[in-house]
Amino acid sequence: MSYYLSTIAVYFGADLLAAWALNMQFGWAGVPNFAFIIFQAAGAYTYAAVTLGPDSGVNSFQHYILGANLPFPLPLLVAALAGGVVSLVVGLITLRRLRRDYQAAVFLLAAVIAIDVVSADVNLFNGSNGLAAVPQPVASLQNSLGLGAYQWVYAAFVALICVGALVLVRSLGRSGWQRALRAARDDEPGARALGLNPSILRLQVFVIGGMIAGLSGGLLVGFISAWSPGAWAYSETFAVLTGIILGGVSNDWGVLIGTFLIQIAFQEVTALFLPQIGYPGLTDALVWVVIGVLWLTVLFVRPRGILPEKRFRVLAVPRTRIWRGGR
Amino acid sequence: MSSTILLQSIGFGITTAAVVAIGAMGFTLQLGVTNLLNLSFGNVMTIGAFASLIAEHWHLGLAATIIAAPLAGALVTFVLARTLFALFARRQGGAFDLLMVTLATGLIIQYTIDALAHLQVFQFSFPSGSTLNIGPFVFTVLSLSLVGVAALVLAALLAVLHLTRIGKALRALSVDPKLARACGVPMRRMINLTWIISGALAGLAGLVYVTNSLTVDASAGLDFLVLVIAAAILGGAGSPVGAVVAALVVGIASEVVAAVGGSYYSQAAGLGILALVLVLRPASGVWSGPSRDEVTV
Amino acid sequence: MTLPATAHDVPRRAGGAVLEARDVRVRYGGVEAVAGASLTIEAPQVVGLIGPNGAGKSSLLAAIGGQVRTVSGTVLLAGEDVTRLPPHRRARLGIIRTFQSASVFDGLTVFENLLVAGIGEHGATLRAALLERRRAHARTEAASQLARSVLEEFELWHIADHYGRELSGGQRRLVEIARCLMRDPKLLLLDEPMVGVAPHLVERIGEHCKRICERGVAIVIVEHSMEVISSICDRVVVMASAQVIDDGSFDVVMTSGSVREAYLA
Repeated sequence: MSYYLSTIAVYFGADLLAAWALNMQFGWAGVPNFAFIIFQAAGAYTYAAVTLGPDSGVNSFQHYILGANLPFPLPLLVAALAGGVVSLVVGLITLRRLRRDYQAAVFLLAAVIAIDVVSADVNLFNGSNGLAAVPQPVASLQNSLGLGAYQWVYAAFVALICVGALVLVRSLGRSGWQRALRAARDDEPGARALGLNPSILRLQVFVIGGMIAGLSGGLLVGFISAWSPGAWAYSETFAVLTGIILGGVSNDWGVLIGTFLIQIAFQEVTALFLPQIGYPGLTDALVWVVIGVLWLTVLFVRPRGILPEKRFRVLAVPRTRIWRGGR
Repeated sequence: MSSTILLQSIGFGITTAAVVAIGAMGFTLQLGVTNLLNLSFGNVMTIGAFASLIAEHWHLGLAATIIAAPLAGALVTFVLARTLFALFARRQGGAFDLLMVTLATGLIIQYTIDALAHLQVFQFSFPSGSTLNIGPFVFTVLSLSLVGVAALVLAALLAVLHLTRIGKALRALSVDPKLARACGVPMRRMINLTWIISGALAGLAGLVYVTNSLTVDASAGLDFLVLVIAAAILGGAGSPVGAVVAALVVGIASEVVAAVGGSYYSQAAGLGILALVLVLRPASGVWSGPSRDEVTV
Repeated sequence: MTLPATAHDVPRRAGGAVLEARDVRVRYGGVEAVAGASLTIEAPQVVGLIGPNGAGKSSLLAAIGGQVRTVSGTVLLAGEDVTRLPPHRRARLGIIRTFQSASVFDGLTVFENLLVAGIGEHGATLRAALLERRRAHARTEAASQLARSVLEEFELWHIADHYGRELSGGQRRLVEIARCLMRDPKLLLLDEPMVGVAPHLVERIGEHCKRICERGVAIVIVEHSMEVISSICDRVVVMASAQVIDDGSFDVVMTSGSVREAYLA
């Protein structure tokens, strides 16, 4: 049980980082980054590539790309950097003055194609088998503490990073930069006419989000020791997104609640505790159907989410109006 | 790369282009008239392919197998549009909000098919007929008939759009829905017609795709969608001729790339073209600015 | 750092005319929307830009504001050539505009709409958000005070906390104009600011225009109502078929027959 709990805690932390990052891009800046999971995968693969070390012959089925074995915490930094670099390249192409729906289509298709190519091309990241036996950080600690305690230490480390991310997200969230992003989201020509440069602003948020995504990918792969296309199906982005929409777009705590409900309470718990029904894989497919239905339901019933975006207030308001919150 | 392989891949490219063109014409019609970028289009293609697969499985005969795909595509699209999309359009109505709805719909369709199909990849056997050499290219009877189907669809679409009152109404709708309504265009009927035609083309594209690729699974349509959307955007929303010309470019490019870099790079070529289109920015309604945000579904 | 507070100071003049647009041409596809129009504004004044639909008024504004690229011609702001600058660079130099369909940031409150403009591009950088927190805070404070005084002047303070999407058409116009003031414009371009605005608000917008001009801001206003034009404009420019056909005081222009010619052409 303790093993499950620490595993879930790590997953939750990584999912939360991803959700906050995607919310910056999607909620603040209005960038429909439906390829978000690519940037997490970029971080994960990079983390694996720089920790796997040279080919020792043990895993003969595996390609070793870099042969590097960087000491902790460098691989995490490199993973974040990789997420940022990939974001920069993708952002320079897609973040032009393009209609948002076209942008969304491009992102979705990029995610679908990327996974097809990585799955099929064995020379890239070992194809659909993915990379395995990725060393966990500070493996010596695992020997001295035992696996159970090591897992909790890892979870605590992830929690620490989440707190750091929350501080970053909240201080950014109160800045003029964030307000300018939202302005550019609502009316690009209007924002431009006030002297703001939406292209730069959006590229910045895209790269920051990509770095956090890469970091979360690194944390995940460092924990589970393996990474393959199965971990980053294009639909994973929509699990993150459904969590954000359910919790409340542009509300940090709402995103936390939504992520917990969708990714942990629903997805992980069904995956870990529900007995398999039917043939293998059926539960998984059904989980995605339910996520799609949940997504539609939230959009219909409560489009602003459980905790709607907090209104910036300068007027004193009677208590009753505060209670009505977001409206 | 030897010139024989190049010519051969161009020949394949023409067949692929025919397949892409059928989907792209449906997509561009839908986009032009309703202004909704329907990301569940690829999943409807999958539905069409599976409908034909089932018809074949039940030995309903060739005609039924062929007709099943467009029929299923039209039916599903029409029902989705009249129920789900219409419901959400009444509530919020922005082009992007509705796109999110189509995305969720696509997700549901894909994994429902996955669940029903037991996550399997199905073989689809379609008689490809004898091989023909035309000039430097090698075609099969099947691939030639695919080109024929694409040409027929284009001719029919152009005839409807430019020779009939319905076509005039559709074109008016795509330019300015409010004005068209004011001029007495029967909106509801025209839009329903658009959904049905484009849905049928989606289903047909799905069938045509699997006669070419010979396998089908739940994500087949989505994988293929990139070529379709690349062609539709490259050709300009609402232009069937543009879609066909763009499909030729996309189809040949993707096959040449596949011949050079491995078959799994053929879709990536589509994405590359799409990216290139975005970078080079041809004049079209794609760019933000004074574009209309309302959708008419 | 010049905070927008200087907007309330004395009129200032740099070298040259506030605006000098020379022989501007704008083309959309094959259609020439502006065929060599010139407009010079020497000193702060309210200039009415009139003419029938399709005369090229909005296109001329867009050419001055940078929203469209000119085919030929030059645009000088206070003697500086801005012809090749993108709109946000021109805005930073002092060309601020409103749009035909009022531009309000729907997901921001009215107060935030003003703050975004007041803090400007210097306060909207990532560096300000992460490293120069104290300075950013001071800037926000200053902008907040100015925003409050502007909103009170426009009698919008009571709706400061409303989201843009919750406003009426008239309120949107007022918020958009109020927002422009936060940027300390040298030249204010107003594209049909009275459309869809209740009559009592029309009068108020007119008064605001005059008051803004008295502070040393040149204003170009595209407007169809002659009543409005006559009451607030120091000068009237008439456009027809993509060209400027008359330019002068209201009375002179009205008696010259050019207006009739413009609308009958």
